[in-house]
Amino acid sequence: MSGSVLNISGLSVDFATLRGPLRVLDGVDFSLEEGEILGLVGESGSGKSVSAMTVMGLLPDTARIAAGSIRLGGRELVGLGRKAMRPLRGRDMAMIFQEPMTSLNPVLTVGFQIAETRMLHFGESEPAAMRKAVEMMEAVGIPDPAARALDYPHQLSGGMRQRIMIAIAMAGEPRLLIADEPTTALDVTIQAQILDLMLDLRDRTGTAILMITHDMGVIAQMADRVAVMYAGQIVEQAGADDLFDHPAHPYTNRLLQSIPSARHRVDRLKIIPGTTPSPRDFALGCRFQPRCEDALTRCLSEAQVLAQYAPDRLVRCWRCFEPAEGVV
Amino acid sequence: MAGLFSRLSAAWHSDLALRFRRNRNAMIGSILVSLVLFVALFGGLFAPYEYDRINMAVIWEPPGAEFLMGTDALGRDVFSRILIGARISMLVAASVLAITFVIGVTLGMIAGYFGGWADTLIMRTVDIIFAFPELILAILVAAVIGTGTGTVIVALSLVWWPGIARLTRSLVLSLREEMYIDAAISSGTHPARILLRHLLPNIASPLIVRASVGVGFIVMAEATLSFLGIGVQEPTPTWGGMIRDGLDSLRTDPHLALYSSLALGITIIGFNMLGDGLRDLFDPKMGER
Repeated sequence: MSGSVLNISGLSVDFATLRGPLRVLDGVDFSLEEGEILGLVGESGSGKSVSAMTVMGLLPDTARIAAGSIRLGGRELVGLGRKAMRPLRGRDMAMIFQEPMTSLNPVLTVGFQIAETRMLHFGESEPAAMRKAVEMMEAVGIPDPAARALDYPHQLSGGMRQRIMIAIAMAGEPRLLIADEPTTALDVTIQAQILDLMLDLRDRTGTAILMITHDMGVIAQMADRVAVMYAGQIVEQAGADDLFDHPAHPYTNRLLQSIPSARHRVDRLKIIPGTTPSPRDFALGCRFQPRCEDALTRCLSEAQVLAQYAPDRLVRCWRCFEPAEGVV
Repeated sequence: MAGLFSRLSAAWHSDLALRFRRNRNAMIGSILVSLVLFVALFGGLFAPYEYDRINMAVIWEPPGAEFLMGTDALGRDVFSRILIGARISMLVAASVLAITFVIGVTLGMIAGYFGGWADTLIMRTVDIIFAFPELILAILVAAVIGTGTGTVIVALSLVWWPGIARLTRSLVLSLREEMYIDAAISSGTHPARILLRHLLPNIASPLIVRASVGVGFIVMAEATLSFLGIGVQEPTPTWGGMIRDGLDSLRTDPHLALYSSLALGITIIGFNMLGDGLRDLFDPKMGER
C-alpha cells in the first residue's frame, strides 16, 4: 500500500454469456509505484485490455468483477458507482487508446478536446483551459500549437493525433496513465517518437504508466517491470532486465524467442505452436501446459500459483521450482 | 445549438460553400426555399388586397390585371390569400419541426445512449404511435381538442416525433460504440455533456437533412388536414384549404385550385431538393473532405 499508485490483487472478471459466466481474468495481481512503468504483455485474448478496462471502469454491461480489489492511491475502486468513478477518471487515472484515428471526436477541435479535461476537473473557464491546451500541445511536441489547437482531428496525421490523445490524458495531471497499445497503429519511426515522449512525460510529471502491449520491443524500450499475461492469468512478473536476460516461465521464454533479433541471424523464427486457448476450454492444470514443451506430469492436473522465484520475481510454473521431476 | 452549428459551419465553410454551389439539388432547393420563406415573412407587404375582404361584386373573377390570380366565391383576392397562406403554412411547419425535434431528439438520444428501461419505455411508446396511421391520429386529436391552427400543430407534432426519436436513437446506437465516446467517459465526462457536446454534433447532419425533407411533408399534411376541414379555419387562408374550396369549381374556375396547388408544389419540391442536396453534401463519402 505504501506509496503505491495502483494496487490490484486477486482481480477476477467474469463475462456473462449464454452458456454461463466466462472467467476472462483470474486472480490478477500487480501494483505500480509512482513514476514506474509496468509493461503488461501477452497475446491477443490474454486479458491485457480487459485489465485496463476494469481499472478504468469501462467494462461492458455483461462483465462483472467477481473477486479482488483495485486500489487507486489507497482508494478502493471495486464496487464504486458510476457517479463516484466520474471525478477519478481523467483526474486520477487517464487512458490512451489504441486507435488515434477513432479515439478523437471528429466534430470537435483537438484543442477543445484537451481543454475539456481541464474544464471538467479543474473548473477552468474555456479560454483558460484552451490556453492550457495549447501549452499541453507544445509539451507533447506539436509544432505551431496555437494554430493546430483549432484543427479538427481529420486534419492531423496519425502520429499527431496520438500526441493529442496523450495531451488529453495528461491534461488531468493523472497519477496513473494507462496506455493500451498506444503505438500499434503507428509507423515504426513515429512509434519511437511517441514512446520517447511518454518516457519524457513520466520523468517530468512522475506519473505511473501501465503500458499494455504485445510488442516486446516496446516493453524493452519502456518498462521498468514486466508482467506477462497468459489466458487471463499473470504467469510471470519481474524487472524488465531480469526478464529479458533470464526468462523463467516457458511461455515468456518462447515469447522472447519469437522476436527477430538483429544480432543473431536465424532462418526461421521460433513460433509457439497452437493458439491462445479460449476461456471456455482452459486446461485443468497449468493453462500453458498444452503448448509447453517442458511440461511435467504435475502440470497436467495441478495449477501452480504465482510464487516467489527470486527476489522481486514471481513465476507461475512448476518447472521453475522442481526442474528435476520427470518430463511427460 | 446555434453556437454548435456556427462552429461546424465555420470549420467547413469554404469547402462546404464550394460543394454547395456545385450541387444542383441544393442550389435550386435553397433558391425555392428562400423564395417561400421570403413570401412567408414579407408577403403581406405585397398583398394588393386584404386577404379577407369580401366583395360580392367581383366573385369568380378569372386571373387578370386587376386580380392577378382571380377571385374566389366570395370575391376575395386569390393572390393576397396565397401570400398570407404561406405564412400560416411556414408557421405550422416551423412549430411542428421545433416541437418534434426537441422531443424526438431528446428522447431518442436518451433511449439510444442509456438503453435499459428508458429505451424500452420510449421505443414502445413510439411503436404504439407508429401503429396508427398518421392522418387518423391527427383527426383524432382534432376531434378531441377542436379545430384550429394550434390543433394542426399539436396533431402533427404528435405523429411526427416518433420518427425523429427512432432516427436519433439509431444514430446514437451506432456512435455509442465509437472509441471517442469511451475516451470521453474515461476523461470523467458527465453523460449529459457527452450527449450534448460529443454526440449531438455528430448526428446533426442527418437530422438537418431530415428536417428539411420533413418540411415538405408537414406542409402537405397541414394542407391535408385543412382540406379535410379539421385544420386552420376560415377566414384564415391556407393553401390546403384553398385547394379544397377550389376543387368544387375545378371545371369552371380552375384558377382557384391551380395557384394554391402550384404554391404548395413549389414549396414541397424546394424543401425536398434542399434536403436531398444537403444529404449529399453532408455525406462524407461524397467527394473529398
